[in-house]
Amino acid sequence: MNNMDTIIVSPIGDIPLWMSDTIATGVGDFFRFTARVETVLDDILFAYDAKRRQYHSTKILEALAKNTPNDCIKIIAVTKEDLFIPILTHVYGEAQLGGKACIISIARLIAGLEVEMANKGCKRIVKEAIHELGHTFDLRHCDDEMCIMHYCRKLDDVDRKSNQFCRYCNIFLADSIRDLSR
Amino acid sequence: MKQTRILVVDDELVIRESLTGWLKRDGYHLSSVSSGEEALETLKINSYDILLLDIQMDGISGMDVLTHVKEHYPDIDVIMITAFGSISSAVQAMKSHAFDYLLKPFDPDELGVLIQKLINHRARIKENLFLKEEYEQKTRFESMIGQSMAMQKIFNLIEDVKDTDTTVLIMGETGTGKGLAAKAIHSNSQAANGPFVSVNCGAIPKHIMESELFGHQKGAFTDAKETRKGRLEMAGGGTLFLDEIGEISMRMQIDLLQVLEDKIFYKVGGTQPITADFRVIAATNANLKQAIKDKIFREDLYYRLNVITFTMPTLRERKEDIPLLAEHFLIKTTQEINRGVERISRDAMDELMLYEWPGNVRELSNAIERAVVVCKTRTITPLDLPIVKSLENELKNKYFSLNDVEKHHISKILAETSWNISKCSAILGIDRSTLYNKIKRYDLKNSQPK
Repeated sequence: MNNMDTIIVSPIGDIPLWMSDTIATGVGDFFRFTARVETVLDDILFAYDAKRRQYHSTKILEALAKNTPNDCIKIIAVTKEDLFIPILTHVYGEAQLGGKACIISIARLIAGLEVEMANKGCKRIVKEAIHELGHTFDLRHCDDEMCIMHYCRKLDDVDRKSNQFCRYCNIFLADSIRDLSR
Repeated sequence: MKQTRILVVDDELVIRESLTGWLKRDGYHLSSVSSGEEALETLKINSYDILLLDIQMDGISGMDVLTHVKEHYPDIDVIMITAFGSISSAVQAMKSHAFDYLLKPFDPDELGVLIQKLINHRARIKENLFLKEEYEQKTRFESMIGQSMAMQKIFNLIEDVKDTDTTVLIMGETGTGKGLAAKAIHSNSQAANGPFVSVNCGAIPKHIMESELFGHQKGAFTDAKETRKGRLEMAGGGTLFLDEIGEISMRMQIDLLQVLEDKIFYKVGGTQPITADFRVIAATNANLKQAIKDKIFREDLYYRLNVITFTMPTLRERKEDIPLLAEHFLIKTTQEINRGVERISRDAMDELMLYEWPGNVRELSNAIERAVVVCKTRTITPLDLPIVKSLENELKNKYFSLNDVEKHHISKILAETSWNISKCSAILGIDRSTLYNKIKRYDLKNSQPK
């Protein structure tokens, strides 16, 4: 396995290390790539919109892609800040479709969860991390409600969907990885 | 796969980029323009299913674009985007047949649900069209006609492949007779006594495609009240014709490839393997190589289908066949609708030969059928042909002089009165000698039989 087989999990701000490690283990096992935790962006104030009190995720992605270490194949940033894109009220995450960078916000994924439910929150976060990384492998949303690439409208749906790709998305992922190695 | 094509029209770059980026993740094909003027230009060149249209823009407003779209492209559904405070415009847009409106910034779920609702609505319309087409196909059979070199080559190719069981891919523009070629291969093959099962991949809505092709077991899904055979099973011992294969979804491409490779398949919800005992002929008017580059068609399926390929010639490439085809369609139509139309005038035939026929043989067939219906004599004249532009249509596109308008109007009344000079002059409100002078001046000729 060479260095280009590495997925970087890049925490922004005070994301607990155990959480970053859990995401790295989850995405590494899932995509069968090496995964490591590395901070790439120290702060994201440049993307802050004072009027909306949210962070513009597309701007963060641009900065992330620009500063991505050469040895990684994909990078996923994790923030606790609430994200938006201009036309929408909020987003859980955003990805460069078929690109290198993606980001998730844990703000809404863990909202309302008690401390003892940290495991549930963690499962959600890993699922959404895999989902956004799936987009960077050029995968689109999937109709299969159990597939991890299914776009969930509610957190309950995120909990309900499996932590696997359906057989179609598995094939599309294999196609994408094959294309990358060409 | 024919993706849902969405055009975003908004004068703010950031809105265009965020909307297109967001919706691409749902698998839609997105384009964007920054003004109403650009939107109208783009619509002339490209086709779209949905327009996401900002109401307030400088220049041509969203409302003006909506009116134009509803008049010229009624198949496009429009969702208006409006800022808070312009609700009255949104209400006005709904009255002008916009599908719905969104107040920006909108909730991601709201956008997703609305677009899905719209796609389901379009799928229902498509399903109805599909059922209608199915019925029409069952009541129609034609043989291939043509003496041109281009068609002789096709006949030779059909002869070469008929006794093999290899997959055939037929390319060609819409209306060139790909379906007829497939039927000809089947009818001349060893499987001629078996069924010829046709599947129009572009017409069957995505949500029923799997069940339509593979069949289903009772209880496999909510509406599966009883076990049903799919088209693949029905084609057993015969030929499966997959028309418009370029329109099939990426998922169905995976399933089809598996069937072609493993030679077995399963009903939806079924566990019993069924042997795929049929020959596959596929057809498309799409550029599949480009579709592979665009990642909407699988390369492995393309190579699996592309064992023997031939391209049906356009009607432009075999104009010498037009008289033969036109006569054939004339006889067929007059018999079907029992009309006494006997011939096509030389002038009308000249028009048929000059026309470019973008819709190919199918368009020619439709043109003759229409001409037989509207023809008031025993001979079809240029004025009976839909390809001879009506003044109204021409006026839509260019400005005419009064002389042009007068010439056209006199010509029309002469045709309608079968060149009865007295009747024509009475209708026009001029005397006979004036009418004769105008006929001479405009060089009008009676092409009807005397």
